[in-house]
Amino acid sequence: MTGPPRRYFEEIEVGETYESPGRTVTETDIVLFAGVSGDYNVIHTDAEFMKTSIFGERIAHGLLGLSIQSGLLTRWMTPYASLGVAGLRWKFKNPIKIGDTIRVRAEVTGKKETSADQGVVTLARTVVNQRDEVVQEGETDVIVERRRE
Amino acid sequence: MSSPAVTYFEDVEVGSRHETPAMTVTQAHVNMYAGVTGDHAPEAGLAPPLFALCLSTGLGWRIARPPLVVIAFMGIDWKIERPLRVGDTVRSRSQTMVKRSMREAGVVVEEHQIVDQGGDVLQHGRFTFLVAKKEALT
Repeated sequence: MTGPPRRYFEEIEVGETYESPGRTVTETDIVLFAGVSGDYNVIHTDAEFMKTSIFGERIAHGLLGLSIQSGLLTRWMTPYASLGVAGLRWKFKNPIKIGDTIRVRAEVTGKKETSADQGVVTLARTVVNQRDEVVQEGETDVIVERRRE
Repeated sequence: MSSPAVTYFEDVEVGSRHETPAMTVTQAHVNMYAGVTGDHAPEAGLAPPLFALCLSTGLGWRIARPPLVVIAFMGIDWKIERPLRVGDTVRSRSQTMVKRSMREAGVVVEEHQIVDQGGDVLQHGRFTFLVAKKEALT
């Protein structure tokens, strides 16, 4: 059985860029993410308290933004023959508010063979909102299968 | 009306350690997480790696201690060592590593580990928070 096309380590080139579709982050997303993760911090869940904060309203969990961009990027690119993520270095630059539409741009900035059957591809990612302001950015190290000869 | 107890920057102690209760990761968690975020597991029987990271903060809220007054989650430096499998029971351990006072708030760096039922560290790394100061509010 052959599945959908996947790209192996050898086929990925440093300098390749990708851009995801946009996604509007809703109140529902934040409420559901609080339920799934267990993170009910008031900054995500207490609308009245947040009226008095510097943000003026509830903001999305930073990790919700991180998770959404991960899902978004894979929607518009041929998937890597990926075995998972080895690590990430990430900065939360600006809040994501209810109704913001985010997308992610990524570039392959590094490749390293780590064993006979896999390598690590480093992607620099920038998550922007509808005003093109950077809300999150960082690097992820993705483990990718090498093509078997 | 009294405010709930919270921990301001001044009361953060470098070296303090916390361990959360454990939680068994089920296929329902993986399905809900994937549905909400669009981030899917690399293969059947595994959880998406970022789901474990998300649990680390959620489990932290189950420790009976006054929570940090976090103004902003600034960043993460994170390593994933082993896959999280459906059925694993994980807990989070944390230790305060650094506190650095700024003018109106302070930076706190915590080391976090996600540990499974066998004691193996699945993921670990550092969270950096901007934490409110008491004096800034008065």
